[in-house]
Amino acid sequence: MFEKLHSNAGLIFPLIVAGAALAFSGALDPYLAFVATSWVIFGLLGLSLDVIWGRGGFLSLAQTAFYGLGGYLGAVIAINFAPSLGLSLLWALPSAAVFGALIAAALGYLIFFSRMGELQSTILSYTFTLLLWSVTQTFKIDIGAAVIGGDNGLSNIPGIILGVGEEAKKLKPNAAFACVVFISAVVYFFTRWLMRSNFGKIVDCIRIDIEKTELLGYDIRKFQVLNFAYSGAVAGLAGALFALWANYLNPSIFSVQEALLVPIYVLVGGLGTLAGPFLGALIIGALSFWLGGGAAGGQTTLILGAVLILLVMFLHNGFLGALDNLWKRYLPDPNDAARDAGAVKIDTEVLDQILSEAAEQAGPAKNLSTDEAFKSFGGVIPVNKVSREFKPGKPYSLIGPNGAGKSSFLKTCVGIYRPEGGTILLDNDDITRAQIFDRVHKGMGVKNQKPQVFGENTVFENLWIAAFARTKDRAAADETATRILNMLGMEAQKAVQASALSHGQQQWLDIGMVLCLAPRVVLLDEPAAGMTNEETRELSLLVRTLAKHTTVVVVEHDMEFVRTLEGHVTVLHQGNLFAEGDIDTLRANDAVLDIYLGRGEHV
Amino acid sequence: MFKVTNATGGYGKTTIIRDVSLEVKAGEIVALLGRNGVGKSTLMRYATGLIRATSGYVEIDGEMAPPSPAKRARLGLGYVPQGRFVFPRMSVTENIAVAAASNGFDAKKTVEEMLEDFPLLRPKAADLAGGLSGGQQQVLALARALAIRPKILLLDEPTEGVQPSIIDEMAGVLKRINADREIAMLVAEQNLDFCLSISERAYVMEKGAIHMETDRDSLRADKELQQELLGV
Amino acid sequence: MELDFLATVLLSSLSSASILLIATLGLAVVYGLMGVINLAHGEFLMVGAYSALTATQIGLPYPLAIPFAVAMTMLIGATVELLIIRKLYGRIFDTMLATWGLGMVFNQAAVLIFGTVSPGIGMPQWNFQIGDYSLAFYPIAMIFVAAVMLAFVYFLMTHTVYGMKARASIQEPQMAQAIGIDSSRVNTMTFAIGCGLAGFAGAILLPIIPATPSMGLFFAVKGFLTVVVAGPVALTGSAITALGLGGGASVTASFMTSVVGDVFFFLMTALLLWLYPLGISANWRRKL
Repeated sequence: MFEKLHSNAGLIFPLIVAGAALAFSGALDPYLAFVATSWVIFGLLGLSLDVIWGRGGFLSLAQTAFYGLGGYLGAVIAINFAPSLGLSLLWALPSAAVFGALIAAALGYLIFFSRMGELQSTILSYTFTLLLWSVTQTFKIDIGAAVIGGDNGLSNIPGIILGVGEEAKKLKPNAAFACVVFISAVVYFFTRWLMRSNFGKIVDCIRIDIEKTELLGYDIRKFQVLNFAYSGAVAGLAGALFALWANYLNPSIFSVQEALLVPIYVLVGGLGTLAGPFLGALIIGALSFWLGGGAAGGQTTLILGAVLILLVMFLHNGFLGALDNLWKRYLPDPNDAARDAGAVKIDTEVLDQILSEAAEQAGPAKNLSTDEAFKSFGGVIPVNKVSREFKPGKPYSLIGPNGAGKSSFLKTCVGIYRPEGGTILLDNDDITRAQIFDRVHKGMGVKNQKPQVFGENTVFENLWIAAFARTKDRAAADETATRILNMLGMEAQKAVQASALSHGQQQWLDIGMVLCLAPRVVLLDEPAAGMTNEETRELSLLVRTLAKHTTVVVVEHDMEFVRTLEGHVTVLHQGNLFAEGDIDTLRANDAVLDIYLGRGEHV
Repeated sequence: MFKVTNATGGYGKTTIIRDVSLEVKAGEIVALLGRNGVGKSTLMRYATGLIRATSGYVEIDGEMAPPSPAKRARLGLGYVPQGRFVFPRMSVTENIAVAAASNGFDAKKTVEEMLEDFPLLRPKAADLAGGLSGGQQQVLALARALAIRPKILLLDEPTEGVQPSIIDEMAGVLKRINADREIAMLVAEQNLDFCLSISERAYVMEKGAIHMETDRDSLRADKELQQELLGV
Repeated sequence: MELDFLATVLLSSLSSASILLIATLGLAVVYGLMGVINLAHGEFLMVGAYSALTATQIGLPYPLAIPFAVAMTMLIGATVELLIIRKLYGRIFDTMLATWGLGMVFNQAAVLIFGTVSPGIGMPQWNFQIGDYSLAFYPIAMIFVAAVMLAFVYFLMTHTVYGMKARASIQEPQMAQAIGIDSSRVNTMTFAIGCGLAGFAGAILLPIIPATPSMGLFFAVKGFLTVVVAGPVALTGSAITALGLGGGASVTASFMTSVVGDVFFFLMTALLLWLYPLGISANWRRKL
């Protein structure tokens, strides 16, 4: 009962609050209703930041830019149409939302498609806002009846008008309040739905581990731009509401003071909670109302600045986050199941079946080959003109002393490192310059050395998001994920958060995610690291079965493990191919023993 | 001289080493053996104070080591990490000088001494450390650790990524340093022969704990243990 | 177009680029040696300006007011590092938000203490002629000041023990500790120096840019962009970026309006970040 309530808290409580606000809107003091309307609008603005920061992981300081631009455009259109036709909302809101989305998409394209550094992105977004502030001070233009007068601002913006025609009157404060609450509630519930949809799940994954999300084959850049555009739309819409509420706009909407408030709303309420920003705006709004009403005079900014510092330092989860943690203490812990996890047993028959079906869906195995691949870092050359072809049938092991360039070679094939010379082919497809997700699309499956799982998500969600990357279909993804889950013997841990699993289990989950992709070439970087002997044996079985269906390349330095693979072995040394053959031939090779096992005569 | 007692620690919530105790006596070179992932590096980092200690303590030269890594360094704990971690955008000279100066030693004199000891570095003295080859960086990391005039030196996989010819040289250098400066050493290694050639005594680790303590001769004789250690 | 006009444009553009560099260096030091973006940097500049102004008002000669301003800002900077920045190591965006809030607090505090309008300091205006054009001497002298300041910071960071420690601490923080560097003390020092440089900038620019509570913002935009475009090799990178972008914007502004100059600056940085998403110096092999 309480668990259900907990998981639907974001639906039920906001419904109650919104319903209560609508029911009592008529009874409020009109001045309070007028002021409270702005708090709801600020909450909407906070929501736009929570979408891109709390969910998308990018701290955008440009939200007030979209807000202001949306406000200006919505106002200009409303000024021109509303006096004669009424319906100011209909004119202002959609245009503002679209405008906000477009501007955000353009800025987002610049940031995400160039794969800009996090810091660079945030600073660019901040300066975009400040640039607008400076430009709008002197920007003067007349558009129809609207007069944008630089720092004189834009006045004569009609209020919220629901009626049609010249006679339609603007809403009274109490009705306007109800109207804004209704619109905000609609936006909130839509946003909540969106963030729980497939789109939202992928956005969450990008925040948790952007590299892994791309390794599942998602074009992360597109999702980031779309999410940013959505957040821009929400901000623009809030801006138009603000313009109609205030009947006046000036460049201070782009000011630092204004921009500062948005992260405060989000942090006070709780980052990533979606409902939090509304609560934050309410708390801060009420606080300023009270302070501005005499308690602290004009020192509101001073106090808000200090509040931001204290929030960042001491209350990072915000109000709702803290409440959630408290509540969770009284609920049964779903992660308990992680403790009684048994050992993974690979059933080769099931695996064979899964893999042959995958081959039917995804096509035959592909060859991976490199021709003179070259990569250097300063004076160190981890990949020195390596040419090698890998085919299906038997697993390939890359061995060599630490620092021989095994992992670098693998990263070059995957696209994490950009080679400086040579080519990399997938069958006959030149993928040397391809983006990582593109390589995954073409059939590459990668497991890095450290287990990469989405720690906040459950085991099943982890597998599902991987399966969905390939199938693009909910039902098919459900089925694939369930099968892999069963094969790994992790049914009991289905609802456990991946971060609660042991290191070895995380490795298995990661491998399971790779299998969900039905890859045509599989690259594994030290998959046996951190596994027990028993687990290593099962892994060996899995790799051998896998190799019958696809091309498999394993980087490993556990020689015992490599021997059980019974495959081809390639020795790398100082970035070069040093020797090849099966493990027994290599063990008889003195040169290999020298470099790898250190049979040199020492002083 | 150098003692670790009941060391337990790891990263974040995961405990990697449990209840590890070992000792290095003055002037001794002791090897720390074991396969990849058994916790050798974690133990080294525990000893330097770079990771959180759940329990246990470290003694350096008879004194209880304070938690701060910097203070441990000043007590005479030198550390050559796995992966070298030289300061990449500083010159070779600066890498050595900053270590000496941070512990109150004459930077110029120390640099000159080190270039004397490691002639390989001299032609590179003004180059940025990040541009050196793996072997050169390893030698630089060693020189940097020696610049703080340690009483005990921890070496984590000093032969990793280093050419065989330099490995031989390195073994010679370590023995010489050990003899001339009376610096005790604890060497974590996977290269068994390298260890056999420099150390008298060894600890073998397994799954985050000390599995056994042995000396050079019995290790040499015990083929089975060797195979187990190397995984061959 | 006449030669004297070109020379004038060139000199005044070089002068604006230098002013930008003067205002940015402290930010670059803190970013390059601590990995922290101090969003209150502009406000530290403002604090420096007001400190110098107050010092002259109580009778200190202007040349002595400058070191006073530096000392004040260094002291405040060290305090801020100890109380706030230190608690947020490794959380770059939290640091940004906290310093942002701090900037607002400083800004509002300045409004409360000094009001929004401040008297300039009475400095004689020296002018000199190039052909038909008359140029004010002081802004041109900033070219020299910027060069000296850059050389000083470069020397401090590359030729002193403190500088070596600071660089070691940012490049390999754990190894720096393991060889005996007390990184937290070094970081307090670095942050104080960064703030001191901002204070110096505010004080030295006082004759051309009068102290107002919001003066910091004027530099903030361009300063932040300069530093993130510069990337990890902070000093050399910032010098080049300030020269290129600041100079370019100033040339644009002298032919068109200053708003167009600002827009040019923003678009150029956006373009540079598109080409070098981690800063222009991401792959440089230089000390600083």
